[in-house]
Amino acid sequence: MKRLQRAVILAELADRMRKHGSWCGETHLQKAVYFLQELLKVPLEYGYILYKHGPFSFDLRDEITELRAYELFRLEPRPIPYGPSLAPTQNAEDLKTRFTKTLNDYREHLVFVAEALGNKGVADLERLATALYVTIEAKNGGNKARADRIHSLKPHVTLESALEAVKEVDEMRETAKKLVSEPA
Amino acid sequence: MLKKNLHEIRDPIHVFVRLDSTERKVLDSRPFQRLRHIHQLGMTYLLYPGATHRRFEHSLGVMELASRVFDVVTRPDALTDEIRNLLPEIADEDKRRYWRRVLRMAALCHDLGHLPFSHAAEKELLPEGWDHEKLTRELICGRELQDIWDEATPPLRNGDLVKLAVGPEKAADLIFTPGESVLAEIIVGDAFGVDRMDYLLRDSHHTGVAYGRFDHYRLIDTLRILTAPPSDTSEPDRSGSREPALGVEEGGLQSAEALLLARYFMYSQVYLHPVRRIYDIHLRDFLREWLSNGVFPTDLEGHLAWTDNEIGAALSKSSGDSSQKGHEHSRRIVSHEHFKRLYVPSGDDLKINPEAGLAVFSCVKHDFGSEKVRYDQYAEKGQVYEFPVLTQENRSVSSTSISQVLGSMPLASVDCVFVDRKLLTKAKSWLAEHKASIIRLEAETP
Repeated sequence: MKRLQRAVILAELADRMRKHGSWCGETHLQKAVYFLQELLKVPLEYGYILYKHGPFSFDLRDEITELRAYELFRLEPRPIPYGPSLAPTQNAEDLKTRFTKTLNDYREHLVFVAEALGNKGVADLERLATALYVTIEAKNGGNKARADRIHSLKPHVTLESALEAVKEVDEMRETAKKLVSEPA
Repeated sequence: MLKKNLHEIRDPIHVFVRLDSTERKVLDSRPFQRLRHIHQLGMTYLLYPGATHRRFEHSLGVMELASRVFDVVTRPDALTDEIRNLLPEIADEDKRRYWRRVLRMAALCHDLGHLPFSHAAEKELLPEGWDHEKLTRELICGRELQDIWDEATPPLRNGDLVKLAVGPEKAADLIFTPGESVLAEIIVGDAFGVDRMDYLLRDSHHTGVAYGRFDHYRLIDTLRILTAPPSDTSEPDRSGSREPALGVEEGGLQSAEALLLARYFMYSQVYLHPVRRIYDIHLRDFLREWLSNGVFPTDLEGHLAWTDNEIGAALSKSSGDSSQKGHEHSRRIVSHEHFKRLYVPSGDDLKINPEAGLAVFSCVKHDFGSEKVRYDQYAEKGQVYEFPVLTQENRSVSSTSISQVLGSMPLASVDCVFVDRKLLTKAKSWLAEHKASIIRLEAETP
């Protein structure tokens, strides 16, 4: 996917997440893009590793900074003690009008992720994204084994909540199958 | 007579850098001595004549600052019980001593893999899948340095050294514990990495550009390992992530702001200076023609054989002989006949097309010939504005929630089309006539 196509996908995702109540800080965007790419197979081509709050992409971090430099995103500081939000600018809105085909191709994928994750905070996103990460890593391992793996990677996530996250991710995978199998 | 175990080296930035005898062995090794011949800022000395400093002294400075930071942030009174529990690496004195030593060695070695002239065009000048961090990693695990790690007391694990020297981004195949992530952050971190602190101070000193200075004494004294502040209002009980990170006490916030402003100013004034950038591009073009297969070798002996000295001699020879490979490019560098700036997109142009620079480049190349035009585009990387701040009430809060400066910190970038200076006037008239149609961004076709 080309750079400007990725930019409009990120802007549209951020818009939709915010409409569902997302705080839309960098961590929220990181995890939502992870689902978009790994679960919905939108070919954004960001490399992810297990790092801050679960799956994390340095490529995406750099791209967000670049989009800010090009005034397609802006930083919105929040009151003490919270982290900032990221918001697409009017320039990004204008850019979207030139890329209606790309947005149409992935509209349902964006809707799915925004609806599923837009109302979640960082703690939930960390659990769910790490659950998807270990599911991909384990290639459909059992619930208990995946929950154990989450707990070993992120000791602050209890086994009980890891198990819940695994089940929730399995449900999302089941629902997402229809979108993934349809050609974009 | 007792054998000397502490060695002191004078340094213009840190006054003295002190090494023990094991560190001295690294200093005396071939991979490290090679850094005496790698300019820290490439060919920036063509613009800023004082910028002739090398990776050698920078690496020493990074080691010095790394242990200063380590000593401050692991001081018993600077650690909460929660942080101590999260970081087994500093839980007892033996472990603390081991990791302090690993940190210093990793800092010393973090730049070993740099190409001649610290060249940034690694994608084009190294085979696919290689970058200077991978070369650094190979050197740390290579025979010559491995012998030093094995002989140390206690022996140092090369995997630990690699993690701290290149960080999680470039060692994506390795799993980092939270403690290892924080220790790597001390060297390569976006906000408070000592690699950055040293190069800003050192580059500022040698270029004579005062913008890079900041109060690093105050900053280092106020650094702390803190748990992440809440990212959103869904974490009232803080049951979510408690990952530790480098942060700063509220009293050091202004010095942190000064560091990040210094970074912005140095990027704007030095690192992204258009003449410095075009010299780098001419050098890349020269190397691609002149090197065998167009790339540097990646075997360790091959890597160690190439420094600025060999490339400088080749540039000189090639520039004076039109039959030599890369002659046109080397002549431009040696005769200071670099390409000139033709186009930098304005804010209005970018509103029309965020890739206006690329669009202009493609058209100029088509009409004037690919050998006569070059394009440079780079925007700041990383994320420097957000880190935890420890308030006077002992709360960890987001830096952007407490600092107006960080919330509106500008970002440095470059987006520039260069053209052969002989064609500049003609190309400018041509561009004035065609720019509007060139930068128009067509809508995607369904």
